[in-house]
Amino acid sequence: MANSIFFIAITIILYLLAKKLYSHVSFPLLVPITTSTFVIILILSSFHVSYESYMNGGKWINIMLGPAVVSFAYPLFEHKQRLKTHFLSIFISVLSGTFIGFISGVCLSIWLGLKQSVILSLAAKSVTTPVAMGITSIIGGIPSLTVVYVMIAGISGAIFGPYLLSLLKIDHPIAIGVGYGLASHGIGTAKAAEYGEVEQAISSITMTLSAIFASLISPFFIHILIK
Amino acid sequence: MKYAYIIVQIAFLYCLNFIGITIQNKFHLMIPGSIIGMFILFCLLNIPIFKDKWVREGSNFLNKHLTLFFIPATVGIIQYSSLLNGSGLISIGIVLISTIVTMVFSTTLSFFLSSRKEQNKEQLVRSEFDGK
Repeated sequence: MANSIFFIAITIILYLLAKKLYSHVSFPLLVPITTSTFVIILILSSFHVSYESYMNGGKWINIMLGPAVVSFAYPLFEHKQRLKTHFLSIFISVLSGTFIGFISGVCLSIWLGLKQSVILSLAAKSVTTPVAMGITSIIGGIPSLTVVYVMIAGISGAIFGPYLLSLLKIDHPIAIGVGYGLASHGIGTAKAAEYGEVEQAISSITMTLSAIFASLISPFFIHILIK
Repeated sequence: MKYAYIIVQIAFLYCLNFIGITIQNKFHLMIPGSIIGMFILFCLLNIPIFKDKWVREGSNFLNKHLTLFFIPATVGIIQYSSLLNGSGLISIGIVLISTIVTMVFSTTLSFFLSSRKEQNKEQLVRSEFDGK
């Protein structure tokens, strides 16, 4: 019990510190999710604490992901009128982007001969964690492994995003929002918030739409590709 | 007092999430329960008697601290030290490549689709948002 409270407290404190650090030095590799996770892993491995005992406290933070997904309805509603203007371009980009994200991961894995359980676990990597875990358990992968791939997709998008965008010379707020939301879900949305409110709203809408699309198309296409 | 509102609103969002999961299990749906909960909230928000301020503070709080809720799941990487061997590294490489491909493809596509409309639209949208 005391341990659980300790792990909850340490997670929150490290998160706040990581955020503070990032507001001073906004170097892409130092996004709060990387630094705080890295320090926690360091603490757990140096004191030989298992992930299970960490999760006795961690699960109380993790449980908030569900209501967080439900709350995505709010920005969707809030920006409903403004979205109507760009609805078609966002809809087309998100639908085809979700498809590309799914197909590119699965096809590369099949081509390079990964194990089926791994392929099924990385299929949903571009989708926000709680939904990705849901999709993975539906298609028969390992949900906790999916979380790892989802985090790699999220963190790498937040790190490479600024370079890719300047390479492509793209500064359109809608394109930026769509890119981060699609490739890097929640972590990308946190990154998009640094650009401005339009980018953040578009990114969270993109993440939501792509989660919906992915949960509809993944179970269908995975059966076509694997078998 | 503000925090009391936030806690009550998050409890409400949690109930919607729970209802969503119950619906998913009951009807064996392929859609995750949290997404069903989101649909329910979106429908509620569009009903005139449901005030959006009933969930505003709680939603903003959850969105603002989204990164925090991801931390415990990310720490789970610790269980998969096998990811650092041959095929594990390949799978990580695939995820990196696929993420970059997805980002390049989707930003380029939405850039062309959005800027096909008049060039000034961007300024217009931005000022609309900022003026809010």
